[in-house]
Amino acid sequence: MIKRRRKKDFGDFESLDKEKRAVRFDFILFFLALAVSSFGVLMIYSATRETLPGGVTDPQYYLKRQAIWLAAGIVICIAVQFINYRKIQRYWWLIFIIGISFLAAVSLFGYEVHGSKSWIDLKFFTIQPSEFSKVFMVISLAAVMSKWKGEKVYQVTFKKVAISSTVALIFVILVLLEPDYGTALMYFIAYLGLLFLSGANFLYLLSILGLTAGGFFIALKAGLIKQYQLDRILVFLKPDVSSEGAGYNLYQSKLAIGSGDFLGKGLFLGKQTNLSYVPAHHTDFIFSVIGEELGFLGAVLVLLVLGVIVWRCFYIASNSSDSFGMLLSSGIGFIILSQVVINIGMTIGLMPIIGIPLPFLSSGGSSLISMFLGIGLVENVYIWKEVRKDYEIAYQELK
Amino acid sequence: MGSNIKIRFRIILYLLVMILIVLILRLYFLQIMSGELYAELASKNITREKTVAAPRGNIYDQNGKLIVGSVPVAAVAVEPHIVLKNENVMKALSDCLDMSYQDIKEKLEKSDVSYIDRVILKQDIDTATIIYLKENSSKFPGVEVVDVYLRKYNFGVLASHLLGYTGEISEDMLKSEKYGDGYEGGDQIGLTGLEETYESLLKGKKGKIIYEVDPLGRPVNILEETGPISGNDLYLTIDIDLQRVVEKILYQSILEVRQKKIKNTDECYNVPGGAVVVLNPQNGQVLAMASYPTFNPELFVGGISQTDWDNLNDPENYYPQINRAVMSSFPPGSAIKIVPAYAGLAEDIISERSRLNCAGVWLGLGKDFPKSCWSSHGSLDIRGAIKNSCDIYFYQVGYGLFTKYNNMEELLQKYLRIFGFGSLTGIDLPYEDKGLVSDKEWKKDYFKDQAGYSVWFPGDTVNMAIGQGDLLVTPLQMAQAFSILANRGIQYTPYIVKEIRDTEGNLFPDNSREEYKDLKLNEYFIEIIEDGLVQVVGPGGTAAYSFRNFPLDEIPVAAKTGTAEFYGRQDYAWFASYAPVGSPEYVIVVMLEEAGSGGSNVAPIVEKIYRYLFNID
Repeated sequence: MIKRRRKKDFGDFESLDKEKRAVRFDFILFFLALAVSSFGVLMIYSATRETLPGGVTDPQYYLKRQAIWLAAGIVICIAVQFINYRKIQRYWWLIFIIGISFLAAVSLFGYEVHGSKSWIDLKFFTIQPSEFSKVFMVISLAAVMSKWKGEKVYQVTFKKVAISSTVALIFVILVLLEPDYGTALMYFIAYLGLLFLSGANFLYLLSILGLTAGGFFIALKAGLIKQYQLDRILVFLKPDVSSEGAGYNLYQSKLAIGSGDFLGKGLFLGKQTNLSYVPAHHTDFIFSVIGEELGFLGAVLVLLVLGVIVWRCFYIASNSSDSFGMLLSSGIGFIILSQVVINIGMTIGLMPIIGIPLPFLSSGGSSLISMFLGIGLVENVYIWKEVRKDYEIAYQELK
Repeated sequence: MGSNIKIRFRIILYLLVMILIVLILRLYFLQIMSGELYAELASKNITREKTVAAPRGNIYDQNGKLIVGSVPVAAVAVEPHIVLKNENVMKALSDCLDMSYQDIKEKLEKSDVSYIDRVILKQDIDTATIIYLKENSSKFPGVEVVDVYLRKYNFGVLASHLLGYTGEISEDMLKSEKYGDGYEGGDQIGLTGLEETYESLLKGKKGKIIYEVDPLGRPVNILEETGPISGNDLYLTIDIDLQRVVEKILYQSILEVRQKKIKNTDECYNVPGGAVVVLNPQNGQVLAMASYPTFNPELFVGGISQTDWDNLNDPENYYPQINRAVMSSFPPGSAIKIVPAYAGLAEDIISERSRLNCAGVWLGLGKDFPKSCWSSHGSLDIRGAIKNSCDIYFYQVGYGLFTKYNNMEELLQKYLRIFGFGSLTGIDLPYEDKGLVSDKEWKKDYFKDQAGYSVWFPGDTVNMAIGQGDLLVTPLQMAQAFSILANRGIQYTPYIVKEIRDTEGNLFPDNSREEYKDLKLNEYFIEIIEDGLVQVVGPGGTAAYSFRNFPLDEIPVAAKTGTAEFYGRQDYAWFASYAPVGSPEYVIVVMLEEAGSGGSNVAPIVEKIYRYLFNID
């Protein structure tokens, strides 16, 4: 009897009251994501209406494109709700294979932008597989690290750590091959975070860190990482960044943000931005535009909203009903957090200049859609937890 | 969920808050604390300022003929500190400007100094090159096509000493107070002549454009623009046609004199140089002024080449840049005698009727110091002494001036100074020489290390009375002195710029013109001297032969010859004159270096100029 009911718990979504389902959606998370993305569309318009990057002629080109992607992102976010996330755990290997074949495809069919091969041209649009793969990696990791059928108690065994680190390593290596150091760093941080929250022994954490440092050192010695590449990456550590050479991007970004002062120069009025002094100002350096045009106030506001989104992911994770949901939701939280820290840190000189988009804000379909896919998954964890709670209450009453 | 995991979530939450705090603090530091600094850096990052050259004022002669104009030409301007770093740009420039790579590099390296932002690499480039450079501007960072103004000399070498030339401003000048404001490295400024004297009026006001650039330095937006204002035009007292005649006569005469042999020798006259001044005695206007050798001011347009510059400064070419009429002084010889004549009459040393004897030798300074005359004139009055240029007569006048008041008053020097010698005439040309009228004090100072020479001897005054000794005058000073005679004691300041007008033709107020001073001289004494001067060109006078065909009845000429000895050189020849006597219109003074007798070698030059001025065939 119980067995039958249990089966119903996990799979029979249709039998629930439709009204209740809508109400159980986490509106804070969804609307903050929607708000910050819409704001991103506006800032992208501000950044591109005069500079017209990529030789486009329509000042609203990037505005329209980003708006369409945002719509697509919302559709995907809602569509995800129709699958119970617990089903995904069983098919994690399928998602793992899709994730790594995406990245492998980039190595085979991708083309290069700014020295890294991270784009695939699909005729009508281009996609950046590493953006989607980050979600796939989080699903795969959450699946292999959570409680499995047959396990009596949830515990982090050596087997789990070994499998999960192998999974993470495969993703990281594929991204490093592009090479895309920023994304690799983000993947790495997300994995470490997940390992930490899974409750793994600190010895495991330290070993992973140690092995990574060792690997890095060997790569440097073997010449896989050249000294000049390292210098370029570490240029942010010099307090007096010159306006030329490796420090150019950082210098211009700091000028843009710094000159924003408290209230900024006003929307559409960023000089550094509109004259293209800040490189990639609608993609990786969108935060410089916000800092210049909307000042300290605007920048802090954006930062706080992103902070609340991350907090919401962890909040839902900590209240989830199973270890897979907890790890899945936390994984998305770590992905957003690490990207925010790396990207904003890069524009204000606290992080190396490694191209990585700012979640929800940077121009780019792959980034935005994968972000909403992630938000969709977190919402899914939230909904299904609430559904189970309700069902349990009903079941108790019935008994 | 275990409590262990709950704690880990809390750690992550704290971490999130800490990360946000760090990021916000960093933003606070960048935007609030350093906001102003970054705003300033950002504005410097984006805005550029450039100046637009203003056309320099034109120079016209007294009849409105354009002598020097300003023509706009396209030029390639280069920012040395950018281009020097970029070998490809220098190579591309070398190809399209037809200059060698090495030349470009050297020129830029020379200009790669803090005070020059932009250097003109080549001027007057052709249209095809302009179009090529403009269309490929992205390939030439730090290179720009600009308009500059070049000097155009419509009359070639004529009046080059008066006009002067322009050239690039030097670092020292930029640092000086005079050129501190409104000038930048690479500017053209007047370096000599009128170009220098009237620099501030000729230069105009540069325009300014403040604009924004994109990261490649391409202008995208003009923020502020002020147009250039042309410089003022100068209208000279010079008659360019007369100037041409004067320069031609001077040049031809020098060539002729160089053919002549010095009496009783096989040696020819050197005549390295000479000068002519034609003045209007009624107002001090300089109608023509020539100096030989001369130079071509066009050599300086767009920067003079090293070879040309070396040539101009080679001693073998006798320093053609020096305007000998104003910038150098020479021993005047007998031409100075008008001053001791006036001094003698005014101080009662001589009178109109008193006669002094010339026996060829004068022993007034003692038997050990015999002074000789160039001839033996017998008994002479003042008129005859001037006519014959008798040295012994003037030795005695000089001796008389010395002995009066025991030379306490230095009477000869006093009168020389009254006639304007030993001080600047105040003409509007730079580097004027004030000459030398020596006196006791000068000698004491000059020979302070040689006690035996530092005393003023009677012989010093005696020698000075015939224009020898430590007496040096410029041809312009001599012309001014003869103007004073012609004007019966009115001294005008000579000048060359008659009017200054702005581009709309409005007269620039200038009250400094026609300055004069009444010297309160005795008119009768001047008439006595004038009688003698008239006889100089008449029968038996020292310049009689040169004026034998001149219609002196219609146009009486007052003149004085001079042949000055110069230790170690041939004699310096002078001829100073004015005409027509009675209502003088012109003062003409000519001096030739190392040309022998003024009466025979210089007087013909003046005679020819008078012929032109009075339309005599």
